[in-house]
Amino acid sequence: MKRDTAADMLAFALLLFGALCMIGPFIWMIATSLKPVAEQYDGRLIPITPTSENYPRLFEIIPMHLLLWNSFKIAAIATFGQLLTCSMAGFIFAVVRFPFRNVIFVILLVTLMVPGQVTAIPQFVIFKFLGLYGTQAPLYLPAFLGGAFGTFLMRQYFLTIPIELAEAARIDGASLARIFFTIYLPLAKPALAAFAIFAFMFSWNDLFNALIYLPSNLEKTTLTVGLALFQTQYSGQWPLMMAASLISVAPIIIVFFLAQRHFISGISMSGLK
Amino acid sequence: MRLITSTAIALAVAATTAQAETEISFALWGSPQEAAVWASIAEAFEAAHPDITVNIEVSDWDGYWEKLRVQVAGGTPPDVFAMDAPLYPDWQLRNVLLDLQPYIDADPSVLDGVFPVTLEAYQTDTGLFGVPRDFQTIVLYYNKDMFDAAGVDYPDDSWTWDDFRTAAAALTLDKDGDGTTDQWGAWAEVYDMEPFWGPVIWSHGGEVVDPASGQTLINSPEAMAGFEFIQQVWLEDQSMPTEEQLSQYGWDGLLSGIAAMGFSGHWSVPEYAEAGLNFDVAPVPMGPAGRVTGVNSAGFVISSDTEAPDAAWEFVKYAISEEGQSQLANIGLAVPILEDVAQSDAYLEQPVQINHALFVEALEYAHMKPVFRGYEEWSGAVGDSLNLAWTGEESLADALDEAVALGDDALARNN
Amino acid sequence: MGNLRPMGLERWWVLVFLAPTLVGLFVGAFGSIFASVGISFTDWDLLTPPTPAGFSNYAGLPDDRLFMRSLVNTLAFAGLYVPLTVAISLFVAIGLNRSIPGLSFFRVAFFLPTVSSPTAVGLLWTWIYAQDNGVLNNMITAMGGDPVRWLSRDVALYSVVIVNVWGAIGGGMIIFLAGLQAIPKDYYEVAALDGATAWQRLWFITLPALAPSMFFQMVLTTINAFQAFDYIYILTRTGNGNSTMPTLVFSIYRNGFRFFRMGDAAAQAVVLSAMIMVLTVIYFRLQKKWGGQP
Repeated sequence: MKRDTAADMLAFALLLFGALCMIGPFIWMIATSLKPVAEQYDGRLIPITPTSENYPRLFEIIPMHLLLWNSFKIAAIATFGQLLTCSMAGFIFAVVRFPFRNVIFVILLVTLMVPGQVTAIPQFVIFKFLGLYGTQAPLYLPAFLGGAFGTFLMRQYFLTIPIELAEAARIDGASLARIFFTIYLPLAKPALAAFAIFAFMFSWNDLFNALIYLPSNLEKTTLTVGLALFQTQYSGQWPLMMAASLISVAPIIIVFFLAQRHFISGISMSGLK
Repeated sequence: MRLITSTAIALAVAATTAQAETEISFALWGSPQEAAVWASIAEAFEAAHPDITVNIEVSDWDGYWEKLRVQVAGGTPPDVFAMDAPLYPDWQLRNVLLDLQPYIDADPSVLDGVFPVTLEAYQTDTGLFGVPRDFQTIVLYYNKDMFDAAGVDYPDDSWTWDDFRTAAAALTLDKDGDGTTDQWGAWAEVYDMEPFWGPVIWSHGGEVVDPASGQTLINSPEAMAGFEFIQQVWLEDQSMPTEEQLSQYGWDGLLSGIAAMGFSGHWSVPEYAEAGLNFDVAPVPMGPAGRVTGVNSAGFVISSDTEAPDAAWEFVKYAISEEGQSQLANIGLAVPILEDVAQSDAYLEQPVQINHALFVEALEYAHMKPVFRGYEEWSGAVGDSLNLAWTGEESLADALDEAVALGDDALARNN
Repeated sequence: MGNLRPMGLERWWVLVFLAPTLVGLFVGAFGSIFASVGISFTDWDLLTPPTPAGFSNYAGLPDDRLFMRSLVNTLAFAGLYVPLTVAISLFVAIGLNRSIPGLSFFRVAFFLPTVSSPTAVGLLWTWIYAQDNGVLNNMITAMGGDPVRWLSRDVALYSVVIVNVWGAIGGGMIIFLAGLQAIPKDYYEVAALDGATAWQRLWFITLPALAPSMFFQMVLTTINAFQAFDYIYILTRTGNGNSTMPTLVFSIYRNGFRFFRMGDAAAQAVVLSAMIMVLTVIYFRLQKKWGGQP
């Protein structure tokens, strides 16, 4: 028992050290975003003359509120679509036996392995053929058509749920849909929370597709594209760049913060003594 | 009152919908500021051509070329798009650009007063498939405050590369006395030939490349002398930051206030001014073969797939007219291609007060930046190899031989 | 793996649940993969129609210096990055799956690097790695050591791995945290009654129960390793968009989107994908051998 406590202390110390390494550059970013440009390379952490002017300036240079809204709208819709369709597919892959199950699953995995640079043009041709070029649809519509990452993630989680639960419900006459919605989905809250973070982040950070499919116009495009344009003119002004980068990650941090509450600590430190 | 306004709006809307029959898209690379200027140019154009609407699309440099490739490959190119002269043959030779010669033949006066050298890059055997929009000559930028503080005389047209070297050494300082350099005499982008090594080679009597015979020429004794000069200033004197040192300060040593001199085109002016630098420009120094700099231009091309070639041409014509060029001069990112506008207050009396006339005068001793198919591949191969010399992994002679071999391969693959 | 055999109406449910995925696969993803392989057997400059090229794009790969250098760099990178990322994020997730003081703070802290923009954070890392007055070298010299050239060719690989692992721990942590939620608490309670030590609990309960998450994380981390780009490029780039440590996706990007060589790019992409597939199969086998459910 003593040894456990000592090990816990050591683990805690390691985690604390790790957390500081993780958060260090981020704090540095915040500090830099509060500096006037003249102090950007002075190597200090604390600004001599702190200023918050970089933040309002950003909004003057590019229409940040529009860009944030466009990105948020797309990311929110895409996240919903992904959660729904990937969890459905993941459930079937994990629980039901059907013809070509493994073949289809492997093909699905392969889609993750082919780098996007090569598939971009075939994909573009498909969206153009469907008449969706120039609309926001190519950015969120695919989210409603499943996806390898999410299906894989959800399948792996569903695999850990004892199959006896489904079998018992089935004997009681529950349909597959019922088993999914009333047993598997509620049990999968932690996995859904984890996946929501990723799905939101992928959509939010997507630069290439937003660049290709949306009109390159600051009113219509997303934050990533807007910031790339912004960088061409202000790349030498790091306090501004840091402010831009901090604003752009704030929504993901909020999503993470809300989602991580579903990771309820299974074991308490003292409970195991 | 309100009724009148809304009637007027309704009428105006009716008028535009009745007339706006042609819609054209114009894509270019640039910054938010350029996007705004282009929007106003398009507005002025639309006022003069009520039947045409122009949709401006601005992307960052990398994003622009990615998007353009996907759009063209996918069969939905923009009607009019911006072109960088060295990359023009890559697009022109693949038949995706509209032949502008018939339009020019029908109205030859559109090119009146255009600096002839800026047209050269767009010339093909059968005529022009693009027209220049503006040009860039490379000059020496310097930070006046640093020169004043070090008591060094500003660069002028008497400077040779040796004067440059001496001044650069004098301006390389360890200001806080901690044993490490914190101000360098100069910085340069040494990967692509345009800003620095091209002019250095030329002014030492060397040549860069002969695309027609597929030969990279940078290992001649003259060119070698130029590269040796760079090596002396950079690696021996250490008057220029290494790439590693530079990376800590963003990518432009002058902009980040750690270098006293730099080489660049007019595109740097707004950025330097915005950063509050107290700077001016001087001609590139003279070498054993005299003073030589480089000139490069950006231009307009029209997609061969456009459904509205006439409207697209009207827009291009407007953008290179005196009216369009005067507005463009206002952004301060480049030099207008019309001689009249380049001599006018619209260009010379920009809000940022430096020696703008110098960029035009530089045309007299400027070589055109090479323009050929596969430029980027060639530039990448040569730059990669040269880098081996700059990091000290290979001797300069070996690196140059390798650059020539790989550069020639790249030329051969594109022929 | 569950093996419920659908009967009657259930078959329709299976189809309904899989429909979006199947449509997505056949309309988009499958078409793209198919097209990529097809493109790899052509010469295609994007602007004019592709022409058949047989195996020449593949045959030319060994002579392509950029590709070969990128291949070596990518393999070396993946060899360090994958085990480090998986191991550290597993440790962090287990550590943060307990009630410790400031739990939310810890979780957010480990997650932050995952979301930080590589452009902005990349600059900070150049400050950390700087030769003169960099954070690391200042610490080393303060302790009497010699400064290290962190981004020079010999050391850059390790420096770049550190930054990428730093940026990937948060993602791995999320996956493992979610996986840990599925382990029934009573397993541990029973084990505690039996007097199992912390190590025994970790080895005999936690790790086997995490097998599905582990398999997922291994595959995804491998994919990320082979497709790593942002931080490597930002830390090792030279002027004009080149890099002193090119990776495979960098080479693919340059060929396809800069040099008008989509055929070569596609061939490289197929090779890249094949390598990931081989590794995935190996993980699959290992997992099975170990008794877990892949």
